[in-house]
Amino acid sequence: MKKNAHIAFVSPRFAAGATLGGAETLLRKLAEHAAASGCRVTFLATCAENHFTWENSIPPGSKKFGDLEVIYFPVDNDRNTGEFLRAQQAISTGKPVSAEEESVWMKNSVHSRAMYDHLRAEGGKYDAIIAGPYLFGITYAVSQIWPKKTLLVPCLHDEAFAYLSIMQSMFADTAGCLFNSEPEKILAQKIFGMPEAKCRVVGMGMDDFECSPTDFARRHKIDVPYLLYSGRREPLKGTPLLLDYVNAFRLRTGRDIMMVLTGSGDFHAPPELEGHIFDAGFVSEREKHDAMAGAVAFCHPSVNESFGIVLLEAWLAGTPGLVHARSEVLKYQCRKSGGGLWFKSYPEFEEELILLLDNPDLRKNMGQAGRKYVLEIYSWGNIGQRLFEALESL
Amino acid sequence: MSSAAFEIHAPGIDTEKIVRDIETSVAKKQEDGFYSDARVARAERSNLAHLRTEDQFLGFYLKCLRDAVYIDISDFEIRERRRGLAPLLVALKKTIWGLLKFYTYRLWSQQNEVNGLLVTAVQGMEEQYSAKIKALEKRIEELEKK
Repeated sequence: MKKNAHIAFVSPRFAAGATLGGAETLLRKLAEHAAASGCRVTFLATCAENHFTWENSIPPGSKKFGDLEVIYFPVDNDRNTGEFLRAQQAISTGKPVSAEEESVWMKNSVHSRAMYDHLRAEGGKYDAIIAGPYLFGITYAVSQIWPKKTLLVPCLHDEAFAYLSIMQSMFADTAGCLFNSEPEKILAQKIFGMPEAKCRVVGMGMDDFECSPTDFARRHKIDVPYLLYSGRREPLKGTPLLLDYVNAFRLRTGRDIMMVLTGSGDFHAPPELEGHIFDAGFVSEREKHDAMAGAVAFCHPSVNESFGIVLLEAWLAGTPGLVHARSEVLKYQCRKSGGGLWFKSYPEFEEELILLLDNPDLRKNMGQAGRKYVLEIYSWGNIGQRLFEALESL
Repeated sequence: MSSAAFEIHAPGIDTEKIVRDIETSVAKKQEDGFYSDARVARAERSNLAHLRTEDQFLGFYLKCLRDAVYIDISDFEIRERRRGLAPLLVALKKTIWGLLKFYTYRLWSQQNEVNGLLVTAVQGMEEQYSAKIKALEKRIEELEKK
């Protein structure tokens, strides 16, 4: 593919700020990089900002963001949310569902007929269409319009939705996949039997940043060591598990450690943790990076990750990671970099946290190993090369 | 892209070895009962789904649970957040608690008994099936050798 090719990126949302989910951020960053490298890039997104209501809050039409042309399309307002949620609930339990239930779920997912009309009418002008993440109705519908020029950025997790027959056809029909990590690729090959020739690992480039290991604690008067989690606070991300673990750690070991959280979402902490949690809420990038730099470790208890942007950010801040071993992706990143440890149960978590608390040199060296890994593997130079090689060969 | 290009590691730090050593140490401590603790059972409640495929986990979890099922209903402090009337309200709550204790204790002791019987039953089943599976595995191994 020529460097001046015309590429369409498709994602459910594109916001002017940085308040989107990981997958949407990743697609946006890849699009920005492709545009900066000389490609003509058109980003197709819905007018929605809120991923619960999917209310059309941005006016439809075209808008310029630097080198990117973004076209906003309204979300269809005739979806039956009740039926969607019922089907989603049935699927998420992992029990087999009928083709009819799958179809009800997909039909009532987030769609935009205006976007599909645009692609049917003008899709021929795009050399490639890059769409993701896999779980959205929009991604599925777009993949059916121009399957031979559609590349998925699936951000795949090992979850019940990935095993639906509708997903089998989507992964089989499209030209190929751009994965964020090796374990994600292996998972797709296991579930969908994808041939190696249709798989490429690309990921996302990480920009280095300045941060201070003391500013966050000083600003917020935190005078004990703290463990940090950044991101959405919800059961799927493992937040309840982390809070239960930190509480048990404090009670069992008698060590005074604080839990610091940044990001959005409600959480319910055990009552004994009251006074030992600091919820910084949604903070600026600088504040988040300072919080990362000062932490004993960055704990990522989620088992559903395809990349782990925040873990890589913590490494850039020089802080080691502590991740759930059930996340093949996060464990892979820790294993490859030497920047983090992984636990599968509370006893392992306790031992590892004690080890990190008692060994500042180990913490420092692991943080530096992680930082080196991110700067080498996830530099934009590397990622750009992988992206264009993938576009060329798929 | 070869995976070897991804190997970075800090000089002198082998995280794989650290995790392996910790797993060994944890296994030993688990055998010694160091983690048979109701607080561990409570901490693992949201991790159960991830651990159900671990061979040794159910046995370990049941050991922790054995400590967690027998609850002492008196083991909590009666507190009051509203500062002004706190001593008065605490005294009132303690009086109410003292009057109701007689009724609550009966329910609580019955519940404790049911919890204990359930854990014993599950533990018994787990031991029985583990023994059966081990015997079957041994039998398969012997048959495969022939």
